[in-house]
Amino acid sequence: MGAVHSRHITNKHRFVGFALIGLVVYILSNIVDEWRAYQGATVAVFVVAIASIILLTGYSGQISLGHGALLAIGAYTAALTQIYFSAPIWICFATAVLMTALVGAILGMAAARLSGPYLAGTTLAFAVGLPSIANQFSILGGEQGISFDAGWPPLSLGETFTQYKWFLWIATLAALISMWWVQNILRSRYGRGWRALKSNEVAAELSGITIGRSKVLAFTVSAGIAGLAGALLAMTVNNVSPSAFPLALSFSIATGAVLSGVSTLGGVMIGSVALVAIPLIASSISDRWSGSENLELLLPEFIVSALLVLTVFLAPKGPIEKFRSRHSK
Amino acid sequence: MFEFFNTLLIGITAGSIYSLMAIAIVLVWRSTRVVNFAAGGIALASTFVGTTILEITGSFWIALPIAMLAGAALSAFIEFFFLRPLLKRSGEKTQEIFLPIIATLGILGIIKSVLQFVYGDRIGVLTPPLSDRGFIVSGESIALSPLRLMILGIVLLLMIVLTLVFQRTNLGLSLRAASFSPEISRLSGIRVDLIRTLGWAISGAAGATAGILQTTNGSGSVSPEAFEFSLLLVFGFVAAVIGGIESLVGAVAGGLTLGVILAIILMYFGSSLVFFAAFVILILVLFLRPNGIVGVKGGRRA
Repeated sequence: MGAVHSRHITNKHRFVGFALIGLVVYILSNIVDEWRAYQGATVAVFVVAIASIILLTGYSGQISLGHGALLAIGAYTAALTQIYFSAPIWICFATAVLMTALVGAILGMAAARLSGPYLAGTTLAFAVGLPSIANQFSILGGEQGISFDAGWPPLSLGETFTQYKWFLWIATLAALISMWWVQNILRSRYGRGWRALKSNEVAAELSGITIGRSKVLAFTVSAGIAGLAGALLAMTVNNVSPSAFPLALSFSIATGAVLSGVSTLGGVMIGSVALVAIPLIASSISDRWSGSENLELLLPEFIVSALLVLTVFLAPKGPIEKFRSRHSK
Repeated sequence: MFEFFNTLLIGITAGSIYSLMAIAIVLVWRSTRVVNFAAGGIALASTFVGTTILEITGSFWIALPIAMLAGAALSAFIEFFFLRPLLKRSGEKTQEIFLPIIATLGILGIIKSVLQFVYGDRIGVLTPPLSDRGFIVSGESIALSPLRLMILGIVLLLMIVLTLVFQRTNLGLSLRAASFSPEISRLSGIRVDLIRTLGWAISGAAGATAGILQTTNGSGSVSPEAFEFSLLLVFGFVAAVIGGIESLVGAVAGGLTLGVILAIILMYFGSSLVFFAAFVILILVLFLRPNGIVGVKGGRRA
């Protein structure tokens, strides 16, 4: 699989690939238990969230440390749509995407004027500030939050069909559709525009790309996808509350993006699986060695942090690019 | 009116501590173009060093300078072993700031989990050397206490020292030159790498002081997951950005603005709006002045 070969991958090949992933998840969902299905759904949520960062940072070159807050907007929108309009679940997802994209467009207009540390600071303050105002509005349910109930799986799927398997199906389908769409938009003229923008703003402007509009568009699209991730997250935990969207969530998503390789969409699974698997690995290690609660608390953070530093040093463009460049030499 | 005056005093104290943290972040940004989230971890670790020294010697005035030294050493260590190789690798491309941010986030996580491993559930106690009971003015207790006065005094002293160093010494001149143009400084004989490490070290000392003061001004105890330190890091960074990230004066202006406005909001509107208010202040300032209060419209774009 050298770089030369990959140029011949057509959309048909990609579609087969996506279908295969769907098939694998379908087969796995019939084998694994409830708990694994829940983890699988969480991986799918992270795939969507990390893809939104990769699109924004890896392709358009803007930084966001505040995607956790965008997830929160998506989650609250989905839940409110369900509570007040008793809409079917896919409409809840759609309104979540639209609403978050709208907020993203507004945030993007501010962001397009800013660069580097200013943008990092603004998005950081957004991540810290936004979830905390949920307490101000009684409609958002304060600290307890509001519930978001995706409903039981349809009876036609059989009586043994479990709740989390249903969530896994929905989340995987949503992740596959959004990934399909993202990889298409990244190869469209907008995606090419973003990449031109990232590598050299002046050159991009001279070749006819309107910088401001292109940046705002990237922020809008990225926010919309983050909104979908938020709605999916709310579905898997049945609830939306401010404490579900701490600053740590924003940092985890950025972390996942770096572990996946921030400049290519292809590695998006790596970061998502890592974010879900590391706490499990950590707890099994600490069980075996000492069983001390302290170690179990700190080990996940330590492993993720150490992995981050290692990734930044050893494979700054991500594991996939690293693999590719080694094989094309 | 009395209440408002008190709120102002509280805001100025908190703001002066944010200013110190903002200075720590500005110094690192100026010397290496890195947004340093590890500053929060450095402040936390050196505050723990401070509590340990305080436990042994019983004197705050020995603990504070040793904590500052520890902060400087840790900060220089991080620059030398992590950031310098990383920045050498990526070439001096200034627009690439995402990876260094993530690297410093990773270092922050490592510092926190190591502290958690060492200290576990124990908390470090930092007994303030002076009373925090307010002075009595015409029969009422005001928010200004000997402790607050001490905090303001330490911050003021540090700022005077930093200003003197930057404006009046050769070292300060080298620091300014190295951040203005590394290549030309190198050609004129400044050891830019060494100067950068020094910039990080001074930043570490400022961060350590901010950590110690934040703890004494707050609950008086510190734990590896202390909320006060996330607050310090976030508000310090926001203050630095408001001030224009390049300028020490801006960092102080940003920190005080943030401290005072947030204290007023906390007093009159309640605590749940504070974080959102910080975001709104940031957006408003950057809307009016995209390069911060003191920022210069840079010639960064071609």
